[in-house]
Amino acid sequence: MTMADEANQKMEAYLGKLRQRLRGMNDDDAREIVEELRSHIRDKAAASGQMTAEGVDRALASLGSPEDLASQYMTDDLLARAVVSRSPLRIVQSLFRWASLSIAGLVVLLCSIVGYFLGAVFIVVAALKPFHPGTAGLWRLPSRADDFELSVRLGFGSAPGSGRELLGWWIVPIGLGAGCALVMLTTRFAIWCVRQYRKSRALPRG
Amino acid sequence: MSCSGSLALDCMIPCNARYVFVKVTAARDPDNVDKWEVQLRKGCLELAILAALWEEKLYGLEILRRLESDSDLIVSEGTVYPLLSRLKALGLVKSEWVESEAGHPRKYYALTPAGKKRVMDMAGIWKRFSSSMSKLLAPLGKGSK
Repeated sequence: MTMADEANQKMEAYLGKLRQRLRGMNDDDAREIVEELRSHIRDKAAASGQMTAEGVDRALASLGSPEDLASQYMTDDLLARAVVSRSPLRIVQSLFRWASLSIAGLVVLLCSIVGYFLGAVFIVVAALKPFHPGTAGLWRLPSRADDFELSVRLGFGSAPGSGRELLGWWIVPIGLGAGCALVMLTTRFAIWCVRQYRKSRALPRG
Repeated sequence: MSCSGSLALDCMIPCNARYVFVKVTAARDPDNVDKWEVQLRKGCLELAILAALWEEKLYGLEILRRLESDSDLIVSEGTVYPLLSRLKALGLVKSEWVESEAGHPRKYYALTPAGKKRVMDMAGIWKRFSSSMSKLLAPLGKGSK
């Protein structure tokens, strides 16, 4: 194997790993990233004329591991798409990635999941009220002496004996309104946090 | 119609729940000047890259060399490329592929009008900030009495 072959092989192995880690990203974007880095490695490794294996090694070492590099590209790509798409699914997907990188991301992820979950529960209970009018709704249940619990029941099972239903048929408009508002607010909150994070960060890692 | 049994799905909101606030404090070491320097460089990198593109379009390695020769920003290559891609996604730079004498195409970056405005704004802030810092730091140059 010639020197140039060896150098080429090392470079392609690195770029192959990088490409693999960029899965999930738009194909054209991923291809362009790989092309750009290939061009960079060639320029860098052939600084003194011929591209050598040592030159490639040096160039790869200063780029860092393909895993790290890909994760910097991916995180930003996901966060960018979340801000543009506004779809709760995409937002939660991006938040999972952010959460894997920082505690702030984890906190935002947990808050968003709670927000979306409660929103979905309100919408579902409003939708189920016509089918289970006696049991679906917001219930106030006694728990201990002077304490009580609020329970959103979807209408399966029997009505709790000692509880009181609070809203009656009002649960339909209120549930739909509150549910949609929660989903919207959670989306805006998550996007706002992601925007702040992207703005605050000149570099993806510290 | 009665739906009985095990499908009971409940979402309880206990009113007496204790809410735990997790206070997230970044690990800070006031004595660590190196860390502070890293943060400082990090904060300047976006401005430095946009400024490097002010006069002409450049490809990634040229930007890196410009940053190394014209400033003492020590830049990791694995940081600049993802950052360039982010600046492009934000619409501050645009890119085009140009064939080179080296036998492979290179990706050149240039400022967009939004990028030009951004770098002007950032430069203004930087100048005001650095001149007020210089005033504040002036007594330090005179040495301690």
